[in-house]
Amino acid sequence: MLVVSNIDLTLDSPIMKPSTFLESSIKDFTLNINNDYRYLKTGYYVSLHAEVLGNSVIPPTENIIDAYRTPILLLRASKAGIPTTPFLIADSVKQIISELNFPVVIFAVNPFSYDGFKVAKNRNALYRAFKSLSMNRKFAVCAQPFIGEIISFKSIFGKCEANWPAKRIAEDVYRLFRIPICKLHVQLADGKAFLCGFQHIQKEEITASDLKVLRGEISHLLKDGEHLVG
Amino acid sequence: MGNIACFVEKYNFTDPREVGALQNFKFTAEKMGHRFSFVFRENLIEIPKYDAVFIRATTDPLYTAYIVSKTAWELGLKVVDDPKSIQICGNKIHLYELFKRHDIPHIPTIFLNKEEFHHKKITEIFKTFGRPVVLKAPYTSFSRYVEKVACETSFRDVAKRFFRRSDILAVQKFMPTAFDWRVGVLDNEVLYVCKYMVPKGRWKHGVKRRGKPSFVWGRTVSLKRENAPEKLKETALKACALVGNGLYGVDIKEFDGNFVVVEVNDNPSIYAGYEDLRNKDVYSKIIAYLTD
Repeated sequence: MLVVSNIDLTLDSPIMKPSTFLESSIKDFTLNINNDYRYLKTGYYVSLHAEVLGNSVIPPTENIIDAYRTPILLLRASKAGIPTTPFLIADSVKQIISELNFPVVIFAVNPFSYDGFKVAKNRNALYRAFKSLSMNRKFAVCAQPFIGEIISFKSIFGKCEANWPAKRIAEDVYRLFRIPICKLHVQLADGKAFLCGFQHIQKEEITASDLKVLRGEISHLLKDGEHLVG
Repeated sequence: MGNIACFVEKYNFTDPREVGALQNFKFTAEKMGHRFSFVFRENLIEIPKYDAVFIRATTDPLYTAYIVSKTAWELGLKVVDDPKSIQICGNKIHLYELFKRHDIPHIPTIFLNKEEFHHKKITEIFKTFGRPVVLKAPYTSFSRYVEKVACETSFRDVAKRFFRRSDILAVQKFMPTAFDWRVGVLDNEVLYVCKYMVPKGRWKHGVKRRGKPSFVWGRTVSLKRENAPEKLKETALKACALVGNGLYGVDIKEFDGNFVVVEVNDNPSIYAGYEDLRNKDVYSKIIAYLTD
């Protein structure tokens, strides 16, 4: 198994830098470790290069694209039995108001905004959120009912510091999308957790304990082989 | 009877020739006994009601069109363009990686990584391809984000701009021709063949007017598909086979009788009186494919 990473993992096994891998033609099961897998970023291109070479890769590019597009994330998650909130792809504030009650949470569905979400508790706040996340009404947004509290946490190979039932969501999202490092946004209501968004993390957000989890998971995969993950 | 949703955005109704083509699709579908409705962003909730989705809005994995395509795909509907085609054709790096891997004759291309964006690499590129070279952002469409550069300063300016969105760019040898072949392919068969002429004094089919947001487009010369060179059609079909079996527009350059693929586009332009001029069955074939 070939590990390609932009993070300094200090493992005993050799780790290849993304730029070196992108120049290579190595045929092997590829584990792509990166803090940012967004479309058109290096993390995405590593998985793409591995797929073109015919390698099995974690994470696959299709999952990368889907996970970062909130409506598709929620559609696929809900099909896989992961609890999600209902959502609406909306083109106007009027449409959101006619379909959902306040408060609502808005995620961007445009090529340029990646950071988080906005909660609108009234019409004015919704106008502001919509204007900002739709890039002045140029793109659609993904609106969801705001039913409780939103928590955001890092997920490393589906492992996280959140409590049950959010922990279960992290495990299931990893099982479905196989994206080793990400941040999940989850709504908590009535003791239940609902997936509502997905985001990349900044390199600086990776702590020493995250690195420990990463090393542990990678060592485990290196030892037990790809049948565990592929 | 099939129920077809045609996903469009407002800009699809700005060019009368595109409006004409959209009306032709609707007319043909209805004549064939199907229902054909235009669906805009605000009606996406209605997608599950349809049997097939035909996307005419610009596609890109980051645009709403991808969400429409993937939603339809997940719901088991027939969809043109399918999400895999959007993923591959929407990223020229993906496309050229496949061409390299599968020996599809294509314009000589080097990938430029953000990390190796320095004087030595630029000099090396100019040495390999000569001057000028063409810089292409992976998300190019309608001749945008493709620029010709002849010196290191302009190379740096353009590359910096393209690197804002993508960590890798394509650098290509400059191969000027009077026209590019455009081969329309559907389900592994040639649908239409055109020549996209390059406007006089320019080097690509669509060129932005200096200081204005509008474009100058070259003429489109349509041919009967049976009159097009066999080798051209073979090359187009071979390139499309790597992507899928949907609807594609393959751009090909001809040099000394050799055909080299410029790119395979999903969601190819179909304008009334252009692509359909010599191949009137373009509409019925696409509708039949959607409702098959």
